[in-house]
Amino acid sequence: MKINRRDFLKTTALTSLYFAGFGAPTLASDGPKKNLIVIMLRGGMDGLCAIPIKGDKNFEKLRSKINLDRTLSLTTDFDLHPALKTFKRLWDENLSAAVHATNIPYTGRSHFDGQNLMESGGKVPYQEKTGWLGRGMKVAGLTGKGLALALPMPLLIRGVPMNNNYFPVGKRLPSRSTLSLIEQAYKDHDEKLLGENLKIIMSRGLKNTSSDDSWVLASNAGVELSKPNGPRVAVFEVDGFDTHAAQGATNGAHADCLSDYDRIVNGLKQSMSKEAFNNSLIVTLTEFGRTIKQNSSNGTEHGYGSAVLMAGGLVKKAQVHADWPGLKRKELFEGRDLNSTIDARSIYASAMSTVFDLDFKRIQKDVFWGENLQNLTDKLFKA
Amino acid sequence: MKNFFRKVAFGIGPNEEVPSDPLKWALNQVNEIPDLSWQGKIYSEKELRNHYKDWVYGDRKVLRKKYKDDKTLYKTYKDLLRHETGQKFWESLEISIRHNEGISSQNPVLAKLWMFWGNFFAISEKDFLANYSTGPYHREVIRPNLNQTFEKMVYDVTTSWAMIHHLDNSESAGPKSVTASQEWRRRKKEPATINENHARELLELHTVSPKAGYTQEDVVQLAYIMTGWQHRWSKKKLETGNVWFNSEYHQTGKKNVLGKEYKSGKKSLAVVIKDLVNHPNCRDFVADRLCKYLITDEPTKQMKQPIIDAFKKSDGFLPEIHKAAIKVAFENNNKFKKFQTPENWFIQVAKIGDLQWPPSQKTMESYKLGTKPSKIQRTPEKILKRIGHHPYRAKQPNGWSDLSDDWMSPELLIRRLVYADRSYKFSKPENENNEFYEKIILKNFDQPEKILKYLFKNMVNRKSERNVLLFNHPEFLKA
Repeated sequence: MKINRRDFLKTTALTSLYFAGFGAPTLASDGPKKNLIVIMLRGGMDGLCAIPIKGDKNFEKLRSKINLDRTLSLTTDFDLHPALKTFKRLWDENLSAAVHATNIPYTGRSHFDGQNLMESGGKVPYQEKTGWLGRGMKVAGLTGKGLALALPMPLLIRGVPMNNNYFPVGKRLPSRSTLSLIEQAYKDHDEKLLGENLKIIMSRGLKNTSSDDSWVLASNAGVELSKPNGPRVAVFEVDGFDTHAAQGATNGAHADCLSDYDRIVNGLKQSMSKEAFNNSLIVTLTEFGRTIKQNSSNGTEHGYGSAVLMAGGLVKKAQVHADWPGLKRKELFEGRDLNSTIDARSIYASAMSTVFDLDFKRIQKDVFWGENLQNLTDKLFKA
Repeated sequence: MKNFFRKVAFGIGPNEEVPSDPLKWALNQVNEIPDLSWQGKIYSEKELRNHYKDWVYGDRKVLRKKYKDDKTLYKTYKDLLRHETGQKFWESLEISIRHNEGISSQNPVLAKLWMFWGNFFAISEKDFLANYSTGPYHREVIRPNLNQTFEKMVYDVTTSWAMIHHLDNSESAGPKSVTASQEWRRRKKEPATINENHARELLELHTVSPKAGYTQEDVVQLAYIMTGWQHRWSKKKLETGNVWFNSEYHQTGKKNVLGKEYKSGKKSLAVVIKDLVNHPNCRDFVADRLCKYLITDEPTKQMKQPIIDAFKKSDGFLPEIHKAAIKVAFENNNKFKKFQTPENWFIQVAKIGDLQWPPSQKTMESYKLGTKPSKIQRTPEKILKRIGHHPYRAKQPNGWSDLSDDWMSPELLIRRLVYADRSYKFSKPENENNEFYEKIILKNFDQPEKILKYLFKNMVNRKSERNVLLFNHPEFLKA
């Protein structure tokens, strides 16, 4: 089957283009604790490798060396990469979904500028010193409720004080009395940031002697997120999506990266309490998609539109939400990339509105500087 | 003022004199490139690339075929091949050479700048580059250029085997080239297309930076100019052959980058690099990066200007650029104190703490190719991975960040606490006394009495925790 944009909109009820303007404000509630987990896919995730379109002969021809020879079926229009097993299992339970042909509004094709913008949510690289998630948490008053499963503190979550991170060193800490002396020295020298970090280290219960395997990280995060007073936000990273050469197909470099993502989702699902998973949202974030056409090294170049994968109990239903732009040459961005018809920041703003119980308009104004974003809350998430 | 010795180098060791004229001391170190101070054997880039060749050829062409039906045997023989080619040893040897230059050479300032440029022209973690090639690339491509022009450095980096492999330029073929019309491409359905990766980074990371406002078309045109620069592929050497200009892959016709036209052919790469390094944005970018490395996360125009001027006046002669940066660092020494990155911090711990670090030349020399390296022989790469700052294993081609916030998190702080503690394992027995600590604190801090009081008043139970206190003291963390 070959779909064009018009047909797609006409026939796929799940992906209606109708946006009813800004949704009614959702207000803070006394309901269950809700969690937002963001998995950053660094290097440019190929949305059309993760969720390929069905039956587009031209697409198949352009990717003759990297087409998937085996897929999992999602909808009448889209398939799923076979590495995304957990995603599929959740899909079958209405617990996962995707938005396709979407990305942050960045077309410069530089990883570093792109990653900076996907985390900051801004439009000028390196201008913002905080991330959209950190600012959202600040608006929601979530001080000390962020957990990054990474060694450095990602820009994405900066902007709210007292975030924790976990990436175990595998060794014991010096004695508590020594740490207290250092704490005092930081105080004497007015080293606020160092002091805050040390305070977190001294007060947390996470084991420093574990390993930094992604399964261990996801499992620990799942346990922490399930605690009533635990973190409300977690951030993971998966590297290696920049497959200029030997991208592979069903197996290979891109497949391995998708597997890494899937393993984190599985780790979270296995370790979270049922109630916590039901009240969580796991979304992906990448800097750009990749070119439609393979290059001569059986890889793909930096592109534009990609896909956002979503999982968790707060996903509204199993669907591939898209305003499909088409893959004919004239429909591609600059004649080479899947276009982005949905500003991915709309998804993230809607996700924060859902999880943080904040009015969408407030997020739009205080986190994204009043930019023109669509409220997708009702379409994508359970209010 | 004494923090200047750590700002532009790694501090003063217990047996070194404190220089009476710190600025002169620093400036005198950047004119010449002396031999490396490591006395043990140093292997050439080609020699180590040959081991890389043995590894890729042995794995891909021999073992995968021979043991295609037996995963266990494949793994066993693959592990043997790793040791036969020294895969688990070379990077630790290279880090030892690198750290020794910061700790025991007469030119620690030059060593700190060497590390800067290695990161500026970073080879990030890809394939087995860190295992065999990134160390020798730093030694043989970056270091000899520290007293040459920036232009020559860029050209040598761009045409180095490590960078060509790292950024996929061998995969780039001009759509209008001889190879584009070759029969095998039609048969195998492999049309000639460019790979933009290297061209984009040459603009973005190695010369003008995105602030120059280049377009996608500029990237494509530069990629056209670069087509043909590739490794010489052969059945025996695979991708590890020397870099050459393969005219059959070169895009024919004129190209246009940032408004200037370039002829077809091998020579146009040097011409375009000359133009890129003379672009005003390139000078600003280099000055900005140097200031961020040495002085502050937010360099001012006043800080950058003398470096930009030196660049312009000297036609990009690196010793002059370095001297200008050192002078700016000196002038701003007391006003701006830079939170040291983990590797810089660790080298300072080793130098000031007079640790038995890196592993001795004798220890590293005792390694026998074909055997599994000992634990101590692998310690350098392991520690750098653990502290989160392995110079050959940056995650992306833009290398490691120089910004303080990027090195601040509970886990990164934990690394400093844990490895300050473990540094005691490398202490020399003769230094386990108060006099030693008194000596190193006097040499490295302007108000030693405060730090001495802090250290001696709080006599901790375990001796190792004295190192934790000193090396995590706020004044030690910044320089």
